[in-house]
Amino acid sequence: MALTPETLPRHELNGLPVRVVESDDASRVGLEGRVVIETTNTLSIEVRDNGESQVLMVPKSGSTFEFAITDEAAGDEKSSGTASKLADTQPDPSEESDESDGAGGDAAGCARASGHAGEGVAYVTVDGSRLLSRPARRTETNGDSPWQ
Amino acid sequence: MDIAAERIERLHELARAAAANRNDDRARYYVRLARRVAERNRLTLPREFRRFTCDRCDAYLRPGVNARVRLQNGHVVITCDCGDHARYPYED
Repeated sequence: MALTPETLPRHELNGLPVRVVESDDASRVGLEGRVVIETTNTLSIEVRDNGESQVLMVPKSGSTFEFAITDEAAGDEKSSGTASKLADTQPDPSEESDESDGAGGDAAGCARASGHAGEGVAYVTVDGSRLLSRPARRTETNGDSPWQ
Repeated sequence: MDIAAERIERLHELARAAAANRNDDRARYYVRLARRVAERNRLTLPREFRRFTCDRCDAYLRPGVNARVRLQNGHVVITCDCGDHARYPYED
């Protein structure tokens, strides 16, 4: 269960590159950076410009986020081996976009991936209301517990 | 490997990177979140994670920076800046 467009709403958001595509507050549209802190109702995004970093809090409800997924997104810090890894991941975008067609159907169209080919990056657009949950509880599937 | 185990792995990396940038509070937040994910999904935290985090204050430990590592007879003692000791055995 790697990080794919279908699993993203249940996966770790901290550390992922993100862009605010739509928001009720026009001043937040277009913010771009990395997620550093997640709470039930907000995402804090670290925006870097000209070497200065600034952490901005964006409410989940009323916003639409576009996450960029690469295979090495977990490493997050500027890894030196990026070039070789990117070469390995080149075939991936096509597969991911194929799967995402299915996801768009079953997930009520909330998470849809536009598999921009290129450097092995997939962009996943998620409605913020889909992420409204405690960070640790998003991963769980209801009714899966052996104790209930 | 399921999503929860992967999240823990990612949070471990994030905590390590945050601690390396002297961002201790953020590292602590990642460690706490990883612990919470593990307990809610009934997973054992990876050994490396257990050895590099403080049980008492959830700090991500960096030997020589915020943790002291001393060898005693047959065991290692790691002392966090908060004063907590963790011990584990070693073999020659």
